[in-house]
Amino acid sequence: MSNPLKCSVCDAVATVHLTQIVQGKVTKVDFCEACAAKGGAGDAAVFKLADAVNAAAPAPAITCPQCGFTDVEFRRRGRLGCPSCWEVFGVALGGLLNKVQHEAHHVGRAPAGTLPVGQLRQRLLEAQQEMTAAIAAEDYEAAAQLRDEVARIAAQLDTL
Amino acid sequence: MSVQEILADENELTHLLGAQQAVVLSTRVRLARNLDGFPFPGWAKPAHRKEIAERCIDALTKLPRFRKSHVFKMGDLPDLERAVLVERHLVSKELAAGKSGAAVISRDQTCSVMVNEEDHLRVQVVKAGWHLRGTWNIAEQLDDALGASLGLAFSDQLGFLTACPTNVGTGLRASAMVHLPGLCLAGHMEKVTRALSQDGLAVRGWLGEGTEAAGNVFQISNQQTLGLSEDAILRHLGGWVKTLVDQEWNARRKLAQEEGERFVDRIARSLGLLRHARLLSSSESMNMLSHLRLGCDMGCLPEERRHVVDRLMIEGQPAHVQARQGAELDSDGRDSRRASAVREALRDFPEVGPPTA
Repeated sequence: MSNPLKCSVCDAVATVHLTQIVQGKVTKVDFCEACAAKGGAGDAAVFKLADAVNAAAPAPAITCPQCGFTDVEFRRRGRLGCPSCWEVFGVALGGLLNKVQHEAHHVGRAPAGTLPVGQLRQRLLEAQQEMTAAIAAEDYEAAAQLRDEVARIAAQLDTL
Repeated sequence: MSVQEILADENELTHLLGAQQAVVLSTRVRLARNLDGFPFPGWAKPAHRKEIAERCIDALTKLPRFRKSHVFKMGDLPDLERAVLVERHLVSKELAAGKSGAAVISRDQTCSVMVNEEDHLRVQVVKAGWHLRGTWNIAEQLDDALGASLGLAFSDQLGFLTACPTNVGTGLRASAMVHLPGLCLAGHMEKVTRALSQDGLAVRGWLGEGTEAAGNVFQISNQQTLGLSEDAILRHLGGWVKTLVDQEWNARRKLAQEEGERFVDRIARSLGLLRHARLLSSSESMNMLSHLRLGCDMGCLPEERRHVVDRLMIEGQPAHVQARQGAELDSDGRDSRRASAVREALRDFPEVGPPTA
């Protein structure tokens, strides 16, 4: 179960899934066992509960133009719809990324045949630190070489 | 091409003499990758998923490493065969549960790629023993080859784009399967688990997330995938595994010294039980086999028998027992078949002696 649906009422894992179609209008709702029992799953009462839940649920604020994925869907699944979603939901995900990943910049490999941006960025940071250390140690020759390297990498990254 | 071949083929995790090591059972790395311009599998329509699968399988089977590889479409496999692949860690429970995913597995079972799991591609490389750089080098080669033949979803800012934010960046999960009877018997595992998780590593049981640690076997893996280079991730895991191996040896030696005859007795009793039992449950056999592995590491049993223990740990799992029998069995039936396979394999095992390590 990569992404279990959550109960629309209490966020527990949903095991009861209901779909109601009234005059072509589709209403889907998911409940955990406890909330389904409360609502009396299977009878009309549960759809009253469903109506209340759907009325309370916010309408999607962001939709990915590429694949139609919405921010509401993301909150349900915790997964994105397509690679373009990362750009569309990027700002919204910033906070979450910091929570799950601590860092928000890639510093690793790049696909074959493309500029290894992550590695360059990593080297840029290292070279800057080494330059500061070289200046502190009054090793100006090394500092000058590092300064040139920093400028070269920065220029490379600027062309992106 | 069938899962029976996977069972019958000798591979280094189950058969290769000399590939096994004390403490670290296996090393694994996996990369999460996606094709640019396609929805992720969980959001893709069936037609898209089909096209993704065709492209990925086509690219994979052209690679030299996947020559004569096994290609399994989950929808075509009976439940039991899918379960065997899960027990071998060749596919995830999630892939096996859905009908639309596929797996491409190299002949030697070292490389396996899940197609249309949570991401389009989950590339996995596994080796017996502790070989972090070796497994990584193969994964890197596969990644370069796939990057050259398939357009991969990548952003300069966020790295490799994945369906779930927990994998974005490097998409790298590196892990070691470690056998820690010393730390378990000494009651240190809780402390160890806490220290590891505070430093960004996850500790899981034998079959991954949410499973208990049968046979004192644990999987240690990195959590963070963004903001660290692959090298940094591997070094971080490698440093901890080295520490764990040292601590495990310390715990074992201390235990052997303090317990004296009791230490040897535990291993000897397990061997006796395994050699004579007519019914063996999966968890009982795992725990007894754990003692035998400890015995092989400590010199109480010959080291060259270690691979037999490892093979029995893998082949004693429920789906393996049933697949060997070629039929679904009830619990007693499984326990009986498992016991007879174990009896057979351990028949000529030598007597347990005092530790030499």
